[in-house]
Amino acid sequence: MKKFRLLGIVTALTGAMLLTGCGGSNSQASQQSVSGFNVNRAINVISREDGSGTRGAFIELLGIEIDGVDHTSSEADIANGTSVVITSVSGNIYAIGYISLGSLNNTVSAVSIEGVPASPETVQDGSYPIFRSFNLAIGNLNAVAQDFLDFVLSAEGQAIVVAGGYISVDATAPAFAGGGASGNVVITGSTSVAPVMERIAEAYMTVNPSANVEVHSSGSGAGITAARDGTADIGMSSRALHAHELEVVDSITVAHDGLAIIVNNNNPLENLSVEEIRQVFMGNIHNWSDLLN
Amino acid sequence: MSDKTLINVREAVMEKFFLFCASTSILALLLICIFLFANGIPAIQEVGVRAFLLGTEWAPLRQYPATPQFGILPMIVGSIYFMIGAIIIGVPVGIFTAIFFAYMCPDKLYFFLKPVVNLLAGIPSVVYGFFGIVVIVPIVRVLAIQFTGHLPGGASGMSILSASILLGIMILPTIIAISESAIRAVPKNYYEGALALGASHTRSVFFVIVPAAKSGILASVILGIGRAIGETMAVVMVAGNHARMPIHALRGARSLTANIVMEMGYASGLHRETLIASAVVLFVFILLINLTFTFIARKSGM
Repeated sequence: MKKFRLLGIVTALTGAMLLTGCGGSNSQASQQSVSGFNVNRAINVISREDGSGTRGAFIELLGIEIDGVDHTSSEADIANGTSVVITSVSGNIYAIGYISLGSLNNTVSAVSIEGVPASPETVQDGSYPIFRSFNLAIGNLNAVAQDFLDFVLSAEGQAIVVAGGYISVDATAPAFAGGGASGNVVITGSTSVAPVMERIAEAYMTVNPSANVEVHSSGSGAGITAARDGTADIGMSSRALHAHELEVVDSITVAHDGLAIIVNNNNPLENLSVEEIRQVFMGNIHNWSDLLN
Repeated sequence: MSDKTLINVREAVMEKFFLFCASTSILALLLICIFLFANGIPAIQEVGVRAFLLGTEWAPLRQYPATPQFGILPMIVGSIYFMIGAIIIGVPVGIFTAIFFAYMCPDKLYFFLKPVVNLLAGIPSVVYGFFGIVVIVPIVRVLAIQFTGHLPGGASGMSILSASILLGIMILPTIIAISESAIRAVPKNYYEGALALGASHTRSVFFVIVPAAKSGILASVILGIGRAIGETMAVVMVAGNHARMPIHALRGARSLTANIVMEMGYASGLHRETLIASAVVLFVFILLINLTFTFIARKSGM
């Protein structure tokens, strides 16, 4: 009996491994077997979920949000994360999506916009048209929070921004001269800004060991609310602050992040105009033949 | 202190301890109920029961001058479609497997197959989701392009069908395990009696044993439905998550669970409360399903 059971488990495990093996080769096959790209096929639009900072910035920058209404095509697949967008696009030659430029990798291709390739350099010199700002919402700052903010905008802080794949707001920022203030700083907000802010916070705490900086991620809207209510010293936002928010808090831009429009590596598309992207994501352009001519 | 009183004290202490353990789960359920209803009901009232349950537009982030829309009917219908799809795919396979296991499977094969089925129950749903994205979605994409290529929007293969196939596989272990024990619980002499009356092996099993076990089998199906409607991660990954009324089996839809998990991280204010309110709706669904299960299980004396 026991022997049989053991045998059963071993066989089951082997089976499971074979299964995953199958899965892997299958996806490779589907990527390699693409010899011809049928331009008459429909475009698979992939967007992000409502409330995502990336989607918020994208619809705002491209004018997809009109009078407060998000006109993203209702037929767009909704992916709940940057990595899911990348996986979906890398597995489907007819797909198009958008991600943060800092997250771009070689499993997908970024298209040029108005002839300008997507890269930190083109965002920096202003030729790449779609980028968003990482903003900090600040209410009344105490001494140590002000000191941290100075660090973020200093040469050291901006170097960390660049190392993270984002674009600094001031390439000629002076070196950090502050330090010495002690106390706690609580920062909360955008999940897109949080990773780079955590790295800056770590660096700051080595420069100024008497300060303690906590970074939480809760989403842009929640971060701005927290800064307004005083539950956090600084709120992070990956979109521009609305007018009614600017009445109660100040906004400081600490980094820029390009938005890359991505397609499958086997997709022949290389360039799009801003208006084309807008029409694709609003569901007014359906076929690849309308983009590739 | 004599040995007897010591034993009595121990008994009493352990009894209290077990009572405490038993209360934990009830307390947890109670707290969940209070949290859900206290947060969800005001939101439903604010949006309006009709507008919430029967509204076909979900646009929680519209800003002035437009007004946000909080209709969850597309997600309710989506969840029901996924459930029906999972039943169509999972139930026949599950029940026939259970019958096979109980009455036809050679012992050697059984000791191999049974652990495989049990293993299926232990796979995390995100792994199912990944399997779905890599294997099921590309296959369904071929069908989708064939049959819905003329509809606007892309046919990516992320669809009701993909999610149904995946959920159908995911509910198999539940259905097989409970159906099998229900079939095995039917007294052997029913089967022998049928044979004695001249029925063949297959005929005895299908016309005597299975009808005798039908309430147990039904119970297994209902538990499977509960699993299908509550499943989240795997569905989010393969369903496409379109927040509009489902239009085609080869096109995407969004389930209630997917809606909650995708938007909860960013939501605040009324948006957040309506998501909790959709959890209330889901909770009521599950409650009804479990009540039906309890009712049927009681009737069948399981």
